[in-house]
Amino acid sequence: MKNKLLSLNIASKTVNLGSHKIALLDKIDLQVHEGEFISLMGPSGSGKSTLLNCIGMLDRFTDGGYTFLGEPVHSMKEKNRSRLYKEYIGFVFQAYHLIDELTVYENIETPLLYKNIKSSERKAMVADMLDRFNIVGKKDLFPMQLSGGQQQLVGIARALIGKPKLILADEPTGNLNSKQSDEIMELFAQLNEEGVTIIQATHSESNAAYGSRIINLLDGKIV
Amino acid sequence: MIKNYIKIAWRSLKTNRLFSAVNILGLALGLATTLLLFLFILHERSFDSMYAKKDRIYRVLLHTTEEGIETWAQVPSALSPQLTEHIPSAQQSGRLLKNDYGGNAFIKAGDNILTESKLFWIDPSILDMFDVNILSGMGAKALTKPNTILLSKSTAKRYFGSENPLGKTLTVDNRNTFEVKGIFEDFSEHSSLQFNAVVPIMMRQEAKHPSWGNASFETFVMLNSDTGNLNDIDQKLQNIIDSNVEKEQQWYTFSLQPLEQIHLQSSAYTDSYLENYGDISQIKNLTILGILILIIACINYMNLITARSQKKAKDVGVNKTLGASRTQLILRFYVETGLITAIAMILGGLFTILILPSFNNIVNRNLEASSLFSLQIFVFLGFIWLVTTLISGSYPALYLSRFSPKDALKPTSNKGIMASFIRKGLVVVQFSASVVLIVSVLVVRQQLEFVQNKNLGFNPEQVIAISTTAVPDVATNHALVNAFKKLPNVSLISRAQGYPTVSVSLNSIYKPNSDVGMSVNTNLAEHNIVDILQLKLLAGQRLPSHKQDGDSLVEVLINKTALDFLGYTPEEAIGKKVEANLGNNSYIYGVVDDFNFASLHKPVGAYAFHNTVTKGNYNYLLVRFKNQNLATTVSEFERTFKSIATTSAFQYAFVDKNVEHLYQKEQQMAKVSLLFSILAIIVACLGLFALAAYMAEQRQKEIGVRKVFGASVPKIVQLLSIDFMKLVLISFAISFPLALYIMNQWLQDFAYRVTISWKVFLITGCLVLLITFITVSYQAIKAAIANPINSLRTE
Repeated sequence: MKNKLLSLNIASKTVNLGSHKIALLDKIDLQVHEGEFISLMGPSGSGKSTLLNCIGMLDRFTDGGYTFLGEPVHSMKEKNRSRLYKEYIGFVFQAYHLIDELTVYENIETPLLYKNIKSSERKAMVADMLDRFNIVGKKDLFPMQLSGGQQQLVGIARALIGKPKLILADEPTGNLNSKQSDEIMELFAQLNEEGVTIIQATHSESNAAYGSRIINLLDGKIV
Repeated sequence: MIKNYIKIAWRSLKTNRLFSAVNILGLALGLATTLLLFLFILHERSFDSMYAKKDRIYRVLLHTTEEGIETWAQVPSALSPQLTEHIPSAQQSGRLLKNDYGGNAFIKAGDNILTESKLFWIDPSILDMFDVNILSGMGAKALTKPNTILLSKSTAKRYFGSENPLGKTLTVDNRNTFEVKGIFEDFSEHSSLQFNAVVPIMMRQEAKHPSWGNASFETFVMLNSDTGNLNDIDQKLQNIIDSNVEKEQQWYTFSLQPLEQIHLQSSAYTDSYLENYGDISQIKNLTILGILILIIACINYMNLITARSQKKAKDVGVNKTLGASRTQLILRFYVETGLITAIAMILGGLFTILILPSFNNIVNRNLEASSLFSLQIFVFLGFIWLVTTLISGSYPALYLSRFSPKDALKPTSNKGIMASFIRKGLVVVQFSASVVLIVSVLVVRQQLEFVQNKNLGFNPEQVIAISTTAVPDVATNHALVNAFKKLPNVSLISRAQGYPTVSVSLNSIYKPNSDVGMSVNTNLAEHNIVDILQLKLLAGQRLPSHKQDGDSLVEVLINKTALDFLGYTPEEAIGKKVEANLGNNSYIYGVVDDFNFASLHKPVGAYAFHNTVTKGNYNYLLVRFKNQNLATTVSEFERTFKSIATTSAFQYAFVDKNVEHLYQKEQQMAKVSLLFSILAIIVACLGLFALAAYMAEQRQKEIGVRKVFGASVPKIVQLLSIDFMKLVLISFAISFPLALYIMNQWLQDFAYRVTISWKVFLITGCLVLLITFITVSYQAIKAAIANPINSLRTE
C-alpha cells in the first residue's frame, strides 16, 4: 500500500435553511492513498461537488476530521489551508474557468506567478507543459479561440503546472462531446499512471470506468 | 507580477470597448473639470502675490453710514496725508485717481492721437510701495514735480514707436502738457493695479486743496512689519475722522483691506479704479461643483465595475484557486483602476486644452494651455490620480477580493446587494444635481430675457453717446453740435453730462422747507434729452431749447420718484422751487415718468435733468440716429467728429450695448450653469447607463424566464425602465424645492424679477425623463431582444 494522502473521519457538512438543518454531507469516512484515481458518482444534489470543494479546502466540513498529508486540516487557520492547497492541489472545472484576458501560455503560467517562481524557471516549466500536451502552436491564442476540448486541455495543464499531488476535477467533461471527453479521460488515466492522485466527480459510467475506485454518493452519504 | 496585472487590465479594456469608453470618458470629464478649476483657482489666488511688501499693504475702504450701508473702495483726498501723520505704524500712504474719475484720457503724442484707458494721477509713494521697476529715466521722484509723466514700456512703444520716449512731450485731454521722465516695466497680468501712464496727483485741485467730502481717491497705506499693528486701527481711523469732520457731517467710517484680499473679495464694493476683480463666492461655487463632478465620476466608475461584477467575481474565484492571495488581488484591481485613471487623466488633459478657450470666455480670464505643463500642475495631477485611483478602485479591490473562491465561482450568487441602495442613492443625487442645474439655466435665461425686454421707461436703441471731454474749447464744441445737426442720419442731438447706465452727479434733494433729504442723480442736459431717450413727460415741458450764458435761473426736470418724495402731484410741482444743490434759483419745469437709469438690480431712484450753465461742461454728445447700419453710422460720425475736433480721439458707446453690459455677471452665470449642467448630465447619464447595464445583467435570468412564458419585448423594456423612472421621480421630489429655493435667492439680487413658473419644472422634468429613457432603453432593449436560451442555460 502506498502512503496515505488524505483521510476523512466522520466528516459532515450541514447548512441552515431557515429553521431546518440540512446535511449536505453526512458522516463521510474516506481514506485516499497516493496514486489512486477515484470517481465520485451519484445523481445531481448528492453532494459530489460539495465533497470536492471540502477536500480542495475551498469549503470546510462543519463536523468531523480531515487530515491531509498528516496535517489536521479541520483545525487549521484559513491562511495555512490556503498555503496547503496552493502547494498540493490542482483544480479542473467543468466550465474550464480560464482567464479570458490571458493567452494559453499566460493562463498556464499564472499559478507559478502566485508562487513567486523565477521568470527563467517559469519559462522552462510552461514550455515543458505545452510540449507535453502538444499545444505549443496554440500558446498565443486566447481561450475564446479554442474548442471546448482544447480549453479543458489548457485547464488541466494549468492545474498540473504547480506539480500537485492531487487533482480535483468537477465534471471535467460535462461540457464536451464524447470524442473530446474520451481524450480528456485518456489524459487523466495517463497522468494517474505517472503518479498523480485524481478525484473526479462524474455522471458518466464510462468516465468512471477510467478510475481505479468508484464512490457512490446519495443524499450526502456514501452508499 | 505588476506587468502581468497591467497586461490583464489592458486586454480587458480592449475587449470591453463600450464599457471602457464610457468609463474613461466619465472620469476624463470629471478630471478635466477639476483641472480647469484648479488652473483657474491657481490663477485667481496668484493675484498681487508678486509684490514684496504685499503683507504690509492695505487699501482704505469707506463705509457709508446712511441710506443702506455701502462699501466704497475710494475715500476723500484729505485722508491719505493724515494716515502717516496720525497712525504710528503707517510708514507710507498714497492716493490714486483715474483720469476723469474713471474715464479715458485722450493723448496727443506727436502726430498720434490715442485713447488711454489706464492713465492715473498718483502720489509718488504708490510707486515705492508696489516696487514699480523703473527701466530707464527717473522713478517716483519725477512725480514730485508737475507736468511729468511716466509710461510703461509697452505704452511708450504705442505712443512713440521705436523712438526714445524720454524727454518727449505729450498732452492729455488737450489741457495739460507732460514730459516723459521715465519708463517702468509693464504690470504683471496678475496685478490688481494696472498703470499704463502715471502723472503727479499734486497737479489736481482736489489734491492741492484736499477735502473730506469728495470720496474719489483710492488710497493705499503700508504699515511697518510689526505684527499687532492692526490693533485698534479702526479706532485710530475714527480719531482721524473725529478730529477733522464735524459729527453731523460724518457720513462714513473707514477700515483697511489687506492687499491679498483685494482681488477676490472686492466684488461687492462700488467705486474702484482697479480692474480684473475676481469673486470669491464664484470660486467657492466652482470648487464645490468641480469636486462634486469628480466624486460622481469616481462613483460612476464603481458603478461600471459592479455592472461587471459577475465576471470580476469569477476572476477572483479562479485566481484564488490558482493560489492568489487577497493582497495580490487588491493590488491587481488597483493596478487596473490606476491604468484606467491614467488614461482618463491624459484624455482629461486634452479635454482641458480643448475647453480652455470657452472657459476663458466664460470666466473672462486668459488662462494659457502652456501653464498646464508646470510642476505645480504635475504634483496636483499626481495627487488627483492617486486619490481617484484609491476611491474608484476601492469597491473591486476591497469588496470583491474578499469573496471566498467557492462563493465567487457560484454562477448565481448575488454579489453586492448591500451596494445596491448606495448605487441607487447615487443616481438620485446625480439627477437631483442635474435638475437643479437645468432649472437654474432656465431661470437665469428667463430673467435675462425679462431684463432685456422690460420697458425701461426710455428707449436705448439707436442712441449713440460720443465722448466730448477732450474737445478743447467751447467754440469747437459748438461747431461739433452744428455739424452733427446737419447730418441726414441724425434725427436728434443733445449734449449731456451723462446718460442712463453712466453715473452722473450725486446730490441731495430736500423736501420743501425741511432738511429731510434724499439722494438724487443730477444730469446737466439740453432741450432734446427727453426726446432722445424717449422719456414720458407727465407734466410741464422739456428743458428750454435756448439758455443765455450768465442766466442764473435753473430749470429742472425731475422724475416720478423725486416727485413722490417731494409730495406733489405732477401738475402742482411745476414752477415750484427745488432745493437740490443746483443753485438758489432752481425751479421744477417738468416731470418725467420713472425710467431705469441704472441696472434692474436696483429700484429706480430720484433723477433730475437740469441746465445749470457751467460753460458747456458736458461730457457727451447724445445722438439719436436713423440708419440701422451701425458700422456706417459709426464711420460717418467718426469722420465728422475728426474733421472738427482734430486733436481729439473719437470715443463712443451705443446706449443699448451699455444696458446689456449691466448684466454681464448674469450672462456669465448663465454660461457657467449651462456648461456645468451639460457636464453633470453627461456624467449622470454615464452612471445611469452603468446601472442599467448592471440591472440588465442581474435580471438576465428573470428576463429569460419571462420571455419563455410569453412576455413581449416592449413589456420587458417597460419592466426594466420603470425602476429608473422611479429613481428620477424621487430626484425630482428632492431637487424641485431645492432649485426653487436657490433660484429665488438668486433672484433677490434684482429689484425687478420674474416669478419662477411651474413651466420651468415641467420642461426640466420632461427633458430629464426623456434623457433617462433614452439612456436606459438601450440596455433594456438589448436585454429584451436577447435569446432567452442563452440566459437560461446553466453550466
